[in-house]
Amino acid sequence: MSAYRRYDDVAIGDVFPDRPLTFRVRPEIVDRFLAATGNDSSFYRERDGERRAPSMIASVYLIDLLNARASPPGGIHAKQSIRFHRPIAVGEELAIQGRVVEKYIRKERPYVVSDFEARGGDGSLVSSGRVTSIWGKDR
Amino acid sequence: MNSPAVVRRPWLDARPGDALPVLTRKVTQEMIDAYAEASGDFNPIHVDPEYSKTGPFGRTIAHGLMTLAFVAQVLNEWSGGRFDASGEIDIAFVGPVFAGDTIEVTGAVEGFVERDGIASVRVKLTCRAGERLILAGHALQPIDSGKS
Repeated sequence: MSAYRRYDDVAIGDVFPDRPLTFRVRPEIVDRFLAATGNDSSFYRERDGERRAPSMIASVYLIDLLNARASPPGGIHAKQSIRFHRPIAVGEELAIQGRVVEKYIRKERPYVVSDFEARGGDGSLVSSGRVTSIWGKDR
Repeated sequence: MNSPAVVRRPWLDARPGDALPVLTRKVTQEMIDAYAEASGDFNPIHVDPEYSKTGPFGRTIAHGLMTLAFVAQVLNEWSGGRFDASGEIDIAFVGPVFAGDTIEVTGAVEGFVERDGIASVRVKLTCRAGERLILAGHALQPIDSGKS
């Protein structure tokens, strides 16, 4: 049996994963992300013992989240909206969960639209948004 | 007597038509591979040239979220880092970025809108690789007192 979900098995209202996944904003993850995106901004250097992470570290935890949908390889990221509600500190742990809000076929391509939220350990909203993906080919 | 220096805060003093900083990057397969390592996204359309030959683009493409990270860099540079704390972005990935492309990301202030009761600057965003449009959309940046 395939580890991937078929497009027909995706339903509006599906929550993924069942329980929010946790993501620790470890310094090495931040460093790798900054290096890979050529970002040497002073915003992300330690000051007074504290260090801020780039908000788009979201692109790392979003991949973990999207992997939880079990779309087959070959899918394409079509649209993205994201809103940041507060800065992220290096070292904090986030809880992320998504929900399928729409699916449709356009130009013979299967689309899935999902909303997500990321929250800090105190429950405060860190980011929220919507991902529109073209589902990978069923296997 | 010396006058105090006037510090321009582009997100706070924005006017329609103002241009944001321009970011230019040459994207290589090595960068794409490094981004895959950093993000954990090893979708073969990004990192597997053989697999990608059979895909919709015929070759590997960069991660859309990598391009979005470049957009965020522009917005943070313009806003003094406030985008990280309170910015918002809504974009469509219009075309692929191929290894070897040089992309240019920029934006322009369109005007002002209210978002949850807070006046915000609306910015039109674009990313191009030569004549090809890669990404299009807009960002909102709340106008605050300048404190983060």
